Amino acid sequence: MASQDPTAVERFINGILPENPVYRQLLGMCPTLAVTGAVKPAMTMAAATAFVLISANVMISLIRGLLKPHLRILVFTLTIATFVTIADRFLAAYMYQMSKQLGPYVPLIIVNCVIISRCEICSSKQRVGVAIADGVGMSLGFALALGSIATVREILGSGTWFGLPVMPESWPKWGIMVLPPGAFLTLGLLLGAAEWIGRKRAEKAKQNR
Amino acid sequence: MDEQPTRKGYIGQAWLVILLSLVYGGALAGVETALRETIAENKRRETYDRIPVLVPGADGDKTREVNQADEVIVADADGNWQRVYLAVAADGAPAGWVLPAGGQGFADRIDVLIGLDAQASTITGLYVLDQKETPGLGNFITSEALFTNQFAGKSADDPLTVVTTDPISGSHQIKAITGATISSESVCRIVNRTLATFKQPIRRRALQGGKATAQAPPGPGKDTQ
Amino acid sequence: METLVILVQIAIGAALINNFVLHYFVGICPFLGVSRRVDTAFGMGCAVTFVVTIAALLNWTFTYFILRPSAPLPAWVWEMAGGDPQTEIDLSVLSYIMYIFVIASSVQFVEMYVRKFFPHLYKSFGVYLPLITTNCAILFACLEIMKHLDDPTGLWGVHEALTLAVGGGVGFTIAISLMAGIREELDLCDVPEPLKGPGIALIVAGIMAMAFMGFAGVDQGIQNAIRLLLQ
Repeated sequence: MASQDPTAVERFINGILPENPVYRQLLGMCPTLAVTGAVKPAMTMAAATAFVLISANVMISLIRGLLKPHLRILVFTLTIATFVTIADRFLAAYMYQMSKQLGPYVPLIIVNCVIISRCEICSSKQRVGVAIADGVGMSLGFALALGSIATVREILGSGTWFGLPVMPESWPKWGIMVLPPGAFLTLGLLLGAAEWIGRKRAEKAKQNR
Repeated sequence: MDEQPTRKGYIGQAWLVILLSLVYGGALAGVETALRETIAENKRRETYDRIPVLVPGADGDKTREVNQADEVIVADADGNWQRVYLAVAADGAPAGWVLPAGGQGFADRIDVLIGLDAQASTITGLYVLDQKETPGLGNFITSEALFTNQFAGKSADDPLTVVTTDPISGSHQIKAITGATISSESVCRIVNRTLATFKQPIRRRALQGGKATAQAPPGPGKDTQ
Repeated sequence: METLVILVQIAIGAALINNFVLHYFVGICPFLGVSRRVDTAFGMGCAVTFVVTIAALLNWTFTYFILRPSAPLPAWVWEMAGGDPQTEIDLSVLSYIMYIFVIASSVQFVEMYVRKFFPHLYKSFGVYLPLITTNCAILFACLEIMKHLDDPTGLWGVHEALTLAVGGGVGFTIAISLMAGIREELDLCDVPEPLKGPGIALIVAGIMAMAFMGFAGVDQGIQNAIRLLLQ
């Protein structure tokens, strides 16, 4: 794989765990902390980000031949902002309460580093099929990250998962988990866990050689 | 960053940005046209759906019809104006008023709807539209049983106060939510301030027969309290 | 002097109670990336404050005059073109694109300015100065201002918008400088391997967020104090 770019399938799998945008690349932290108080808003945000990421990837990949080095970031930003506006309007029309709950974090997808970095690294240089695979893989990885953090915070903080009660009535809800400190602590500890798992696997790979 | 492209080069590259801007602008205009009504409807439904609950005797559809035909706007002595909703019964008779209000809560802004009777002298109900208070503590201000039911029947003339012990019944005291005194106080402060400012203008409008008359937002007027 | 009271509430709200980093989670990337040393962190905080003020000013102007529903400029153009003066023109769908353009341009200008007049600082920032464009905090401040330009009864003037921007920037600077101070000490501590770097930084941020929660209600007290003083 030294001189070849990763294939579409490899990119797809890469995005989910090995190069997970949140756990490994540490991108897109703002929504990760903000909307993961419960699983439902987290998944909505993941879906919105997926829409923007995949659409932007497709669009940039289609016009990649026309991009000039000095204005390309501008073109990326313009494209992303357009798709985010579409996603935001769509949410306000068909999921109004959720749109109010997510608030300013949907437009903040514009400055979500995941999308700009994928445009820069992948879709401005690859054909559409590869760009789509990359987008879908990264979106799944992002959803996985958001979902894992939201699960921890919602179960410990409200005793529910996706709004359905899963803890017994006697569970003292750890309110702190749903508040900002809980977000930071959960992400920090889960990052540590991800790092630890990564190191164990690297050690094992080294041992097996 | 070291090699500066020629001026001609920049202009030559700008055509793509301009073209894309036009294409995207068109796409956004299309999306906006398609979804605008739905979004506006969502916003309106939020208020109109609550009116029959806030003002007993009000009919949702008739109220909506009356208020969408003519916006009722009242202004205080300083020229601050506020849209209010005239709640009408099914036969069109005025049943009460609904006053949107908002202000800073513990964590962020709190938006409420205050229901008043036809003479704007008694509060008939309170509904919290938007809040971002502490989950499990402050966000119980949305709970009818724990908080908002207390507002019904309170006089609009006495400022409400918050107590942590059981309030004297029939007085202007509201029991705070345990562990969320600041959120409870914020709601009362918002209600008190909005009522103090706008109850006289609403009463004046009620005396005019309660008709929903359209009026442009006025400048500073000579309305006396 | 109600205006002063409101401005104080906005400023303290943005800087301490609803701190941009520790309450709204915006600006996390520089918060984790540039907070290794106090002097760079403070410099980044000042740069962000500078950019957010310029961006907020420009965006408020554009939103007030062009983008909000029933804004004066499009209505005037429409009338000149012979259109019906009663139709309400609402260009707010273009807000996000306009905002991010303005922010990118502001960062570009600030970069040129810093490069010319503070070359030393420019060098120490390196790649992080252009990265302020993707700093959520700036777009977030503009979105908060836009929220208050949507509601005709509570329209924010330029003074309120600027207070929010500066307050937010100051809050960001406080948070990032505190974090840098703590991390300088952490470098000498025995942090478990998996948590080194972003892991422990986030845990520290969580504890800082808990501390900042104690500021709630401070704006009420200060407002009452100001009212008493000005009577």
